[in-house]
Amino acid sequence: MKEYTLLAAGSLVLVFLADRLTQVRLLKKKLFYFFLLVILGFKFLVNGYLTGEGIVLYNRSFFLGARAGSIPLEDFIFGFSMVSLAVIFWEFFKGRKR
Amino acid sequence: MAVLLLSGILPFLLSFYPPLGFWKNFKALFFSIGIIVIVFGGWDMFAAWRGHWYFDRRGVCGVWLFNLPLEEWLFFVVVPFCCIFTWEALKFIKGKGR
Repeated sequence: MKEYTLLAAGSLVLVFLADRLTQVRLLKKKLFYFFLLVILGFKFLVNGYLTGEGIVLYNRSFFLGARAGSIPLEDFIFGFSMVSLAVIFWEFFKGRKR
Repeated sequence: MAVLLLSGILPFLLSFYPPLGFWKNFKALFFSIGIIVIVFGGWDMFAAWRGHWYFDRRGVCGVWLFNLPLEEWLFFVVVPFCCIFTWEALKFIKGKGR
């Protein structure tokens, strides 16, 4: 089973839910997509190195097998979810203090 | 390990740039990163346990916490930190441009 693919899809749902429930609505902000582009650049550097050098290795049976360079497609979703949730919670906790 | 330090150091130093007031929200930062460590650390532990991916022992320093290398745990602290910093920096730059 493509467990990594499933988990990645699940994490997307989590991002949408968190974005709504916290009322941060990050996904509606234009700047956020520019931010993602910036992060994507760094991701290619770091993730590309780690996967290219074989420091992190993937089991073929758990992901779709599509890669951008050496980076599995699912890694981009993992990264997107992690980055988005970090900023969503940051905005949420910061906003609650005021 | 070196990759991790390199990616973390610049945003960390810049985060002391006073106009950003970054450290005023230490608590928000702490909680956001905490959630990421728990959620994505959990995902990672599951993935490593199921064998979705694994780590080349030559690429890590050799300290393991549960079934993940120390670097992976630090990754979950450094990356959200860098992302939140980048996000704040972009908002700051955009605000200045207006």
